[in-house]
Amino acid sequence: MKRIEVKLALPVVAPLLDVVRELADGLAHNLAAPLGLSDLEPEDRGAWADELLVAQREEVRVLLGLFDDEFFSEGVVAFDEDNAEIIVRACAAIRLRLREQFLKDLGDEVLESSEVALSVLPEPTRRAFMCYLFLATIQELIIEHLDSSILDA
Amino acid sequence: MPNTQTDTKTATLSELKLEGRWRVVVLNDPVNLMSYVVLVFKKVFAFDEKTARKKMLEVHEQGRSVVWSGLREKAEAYVFTLQQWHLTATLEPDETH
Repeated sequence: MKRIEVKLALPVVAPLLDVVRELADGLAHNLAAPLGLSDLEPEDRGAWADELLVAQREEVRVLLGLFDDEFFSEGVVAFDEDNAEIIVRACAAIRLRLREQFLKDLGDEVLESSEVALSVLPEPTRRAFMCYLFLATIQELIIEHLDSSILDA
Repeated sequence: MPNTQTDTKTATLSELKLEGRWRVVVLNDPVNLMSYVVLVFKKVFAFDEKTARKKMLEVHEQGRSVVWSGLREKAEAYVFTLQQWHLTATLEPDETH
């Protein structure tokens, strides 16, 4: 089984995990991306949203589960074909939520380019933006090294 | 007592909705990575790398891309799957058919 291990700097990552935990509650009850079909019957719409929320909650649970006691002693997280897809999706959901909750004022161009002077941002925005970049890095690592695992699954 | 006229109208609308072809349209968002969108297109639609990149760039540069067209039921299933990947997608009637 293909597996990648990533050593992370605990003092940098720990505060970012607090941001993810803060957002987890919101993601338990609200979809990260807006529900696309406006003409669905209300009953179907509710069923869709419920099913999507169950999946979204599970994604966030699995992501946070990576950062367990072992992580806090070793500083290492591992990605493999069993968790690659769910983690990459969790990162997408949380990044969308970060935008909604903390980063809208930065503007879409900044979010797309990820180019911003961190030192000028207020602390909550700076921490959220760091978290946004951290999750993108995880996604890039997984897509670079484990995309075939996801595509073949 | 049921309102026959309304019931008939509703039935007709539902039938119309199910008839014909529908397009699955993916809309741009400033958050999801280009590489992620390419991965999703390859996974969901079995696009090759070149097609997936072309569709992703349409989304990025034009704000939207039609990624599939066909019967309503299957189109809805694709929108649901894209939503599971946290992409914003919608349906529109395919009037070219």
